Amino acid sequence: MVVRSHAYCANPPLRRPLQKAPRQRKNKIKTIYGLPTRSLLFTPLVLALWLHTSNAQEKTVTGLALPPDAAPYAEQVLRIPCNNSANAVTFDFSVSVYQPYCGSNFFNDPLVTFDKALNPQPGAAESWSVADDGVTWTFILHQGLMWSDGTPVTAHDYVATFRFSADPDHAWDFAWYYTFVDKGGIKNWDEVIAGELPVEALGVRAIDDRTLEIITKGIFPPLPKIMKYAYALQKKALAEHGPYYNNEPATAVSSGPFMLESFDHGFKVVFKANPHYKGYRPPRLARIEGIYMSPATYFIAYLNNEIDTINFNDLSPADFATIERDPELLANYLRPGLIGTDYVFFDPHNPPFDNLDVRKAFAHAINREAIVKSIYGEIKAVPAHTMLMPGFPAADITGDLTDYQRFDCGLAKEHLAKAGYPNGADFPPQVMWLRNENPGIAAVYQAAAASISQCLGISIQVSNKDNKVFMDALHERPTKIALGSVAYAIDFADPINLLGIWVSSGRHSWRHQRFDEILDEASNLIGEPARRDSLFHAAERILVDDVGGAFIAHRWAGDLWRPKVRGASIRDPGPNDTYGSHSGNDWQWGDIYIGKAQ
Amino acid sequence: MLIYLAQRLLALAFVLLAVSMIVFTLMHSVPGGPFDTQQAKLPKAARENIERKYGLDKPVWQQYLNYMSHAVRFDFGIPYQQPQTTVAALIGKTWLVTLQVGIMTIIVAFGLGITAGMFAAYHQNSWVDNIVTFFSMLGVTVPNFVIAMWFILFFGVTRQWLPTGGWGKSGDCLCYDLLCSDWILPVLAYALAPMAIIARYTRASIVDVIREDYVRTARAKGLGESKVMRRHVLRNAQIPMVTALGTEIPNLITGSIFIETIFRINGLGKFFVTSTLNRDYPMIMATFLLVALLWGITFMLTDIAYTLIDPRVKLGAKKEA
Repeated sequence: MVVRSHAYCANPPLRRPLQKAPRQRKNKIKTIYGLPTRSLLFTPLVLALWLHTSNAQEKTVTGLALPPDAAPYAEQVLRIPCNNSANAVTFDFSVSVYQPYCGSNFFNDPLVTFDKALNPQPGAAESWSVADDGVTWTFILHQGLMWSDGTPVTAHDYVATFRFSADPDHAWDFAWYYTFVDKGGIKNWDEVIAGELPVEALGVRAIDDRTLEIITKGIFPPLPKIMKYAYALQKKALAEHGPYYNNEPATAVSSGPFMLESFDHGFKVVFKANPHYKGYRPPRLARIEGIYMSPATYFIAYLNNEIDTINFNDLSPADFATIERDPELLANYLRPGLIGTDYVFFDPHNPPFDNLDVRKAFAHAINREAIVKSIYGEIKAVPAHTMLMPGFPAADITGDLTDYQRFDCGLAKEHLAKAGYPNGADFPPQVMWLRNENPGIAAVYQAAAASISQCLGISIQVSNKDNKVFMDALHERPTKIALGSVAYAIDFADPINLLGIWVSSGRHSWRHQRFDEILDEASNLIGEPARRDSLFHAAERILVDDVGGAFIAHRWAGDLWRPKVRGASIRDPGPNDTYGSHSGNDWQWGDIYIGKAQ
Repeated sequence: MLIYLAQRLLALAFVLLAVSMIVFTLMHSVPGGPFDTQQAKLPKAARENIERKYGLDKPVWQQYLNYMSHAVRFDFGIPYQQPQTTVAALIGKTWLVTLQVGIMTIIVAFGLGITAGMFAAYHQNSWVDNIVTFFSMLGVTVPNFVIAMWFILFFGVTRQWLPTGGWGKSGDCLCYDLLCSDWILPVLAYALAPMAIIARYTRASIVDVIREDYVRTARAKGLGESKVMRRHVLRNAQIPMVTALGTEIPNLITGSIFIETIFRINGLGKFFVTSTLNRDYPMIMATFLLVALLWGITFMLTDIAYTLIDPRVKLGAKKEA
């Protein structure tokens, strides 16, 4: 149903011009209780019109009825904070992943999305299947998907986007990803980004307007999960205006739930509901306003009723202290699940960390429970003894792996003595590198270093490095970091994502042949989920036993929402009694709405 | 005078050349590159593509020559942080805002700072002096981002008297947008530190002069206090003040990342920090050259100001044997 155009427009209606007073009629008019009889004839019509209008106001531009407890459609405006010092260039994932504007990915739907249990669900693709060869995947797009200019979304748009992503001239900053997922990478990806093959040789093609075929390098069962990152640019706009077409309202075109209304970079960006949207997350909100400010002022702005939500990454320890003291704030701080793992890593090829007993001593010397309780706060983390966090597929839910790295200072000292450093004697002083961490996270790693130092009687100095200096040193082979602490967060909900960083070709220098073999076997396994999980569990046992890393804490994700922001996607419980905006939850943007004031 | 100016401009060109060489060398010596990502190292091929795209595949000396050959034609390249625009356009757009903030701050800081310093010097060791000294110490010692947060909390959140930021986009404006309510907090927060420094310098300079014999003579001749202050004290106190205070100007008109981010001002200040953190080479070069140019011009103008304040000063005059 069409809604009156001004219903979702924040601008006040134009003031009517002054009208002349009607001339007085001289004829006598019949009345009933003072009302002209003729006008009563129109009463049913006026009543019907009023009912129709009042109902229409409660519907969105895509014809969706608002919930009964929703505020009027004109008030369906969500205000989100945007970092005014962020390095950002685009709204589109396929243009740049690491330089996103505030409100990225409102203009496209990914092929696949996740539910609260992190299972893949249809996104732009209504279904998918894999051929008998195990490498040819077919994704069928939903019928009737539309761009905001009224043209259909087709598989050709996805093909053009994949080709653009792999184009050597584009030099996509996320190009590493399809190399990183190894067998899950698209066929010929590495050759195309190297310029050895043309983009047309990429293993992606459109069978017809709705059918997209993707051929992977090898057998990779979790491929649908990584298609969470398959967003489409419009082929036509890309050709006509180049990759930044979505940065200007005049050239922007959206197949997502919102479209660009105005963009004053550094001050305000406004998205309005896309009336042509036919996808899986039709928006209830009429507008989303991104207000640029310093993350240091987000919490003040929230308290000052200028914004409606803040992500946990932008809340300082002082902000958390305020939230924990205030019952209303605490009730609206929603935690959807554990999102990442903090850990200590080593250079296992050089002394002293080439000695397994030294690594074990470090792993047992970290008082995780105390760190979580007094530094992180239990609202933000849980102690970690493994890489995979509770709730994640193949995670150690029985506590089977806990003992490998539990805090036991006596045991830690025994291991250190066995390594030839009784009571820390002659142990070389260490510097623990951090990756430009904010003060809150740096304090966690400081506490881990202090816990190890105090328990083992050794000296560890913590050095918070510039981000690029840290990453350069980490990626060097052999690594230039003897001892470091860092975190890794979920990219996609499969154990290969978090365990994959520990393989020999991965992020760290730790090597274990058997670990690599098991991970390889598990990642190829189709149709045996229980066995696959048990293989990942076996691999993780090797990781914690051989102390590839000493795990400190699993971080809770979380968002502070204003009480008036409602919707099952954030307010209804998910697995393990979690709430809020979970990883990969882009369907929330179609679900949330502004409730009536209470 | 003209010969002196020509010499100074020529010297400034050499200074800019030297600055460009030093900055270019330093930024390429620092570990990490502009396209290193958070999670994983780019594949070799992808890295080479990016480097080729931005001309980073060439030797550093060649990159420098390429850069300078374009820079002399005012083409400072494409900022990696905002590749859809040019460095010149980005600086042009953001510096205008920063200049506006800077000029307002200079007016407030110099106006209030000089006045407070004069009062403090005239009423030396009185309660006025003590108050000025207290606020001067506060301004110098408390960082402007702390002051900014106090202002926002008190005037914006608690009292709700003033907007918390936006620079001309959030508050009410008067006089054809020449004065907006959302300018007040950022200008005051930004002005406090320079105002404190100016007050201290002004006080010290005037206290020195006010004890001179010629001031005593002027009073003995029966001149009124205002005339003594204006003609004999202020005029002679100006030279050390100009020397010390002139250097505040380039700092103020190139912006502050703290003030701009906290008060939502879309200015140039943040790029001094973000460019370095992101290894945005073209922006690093342009911002450093801009700062060097402004400092050069400031010193030149300071020298000219000496001749206006004190006719005995002759620019470019050779020492007599």
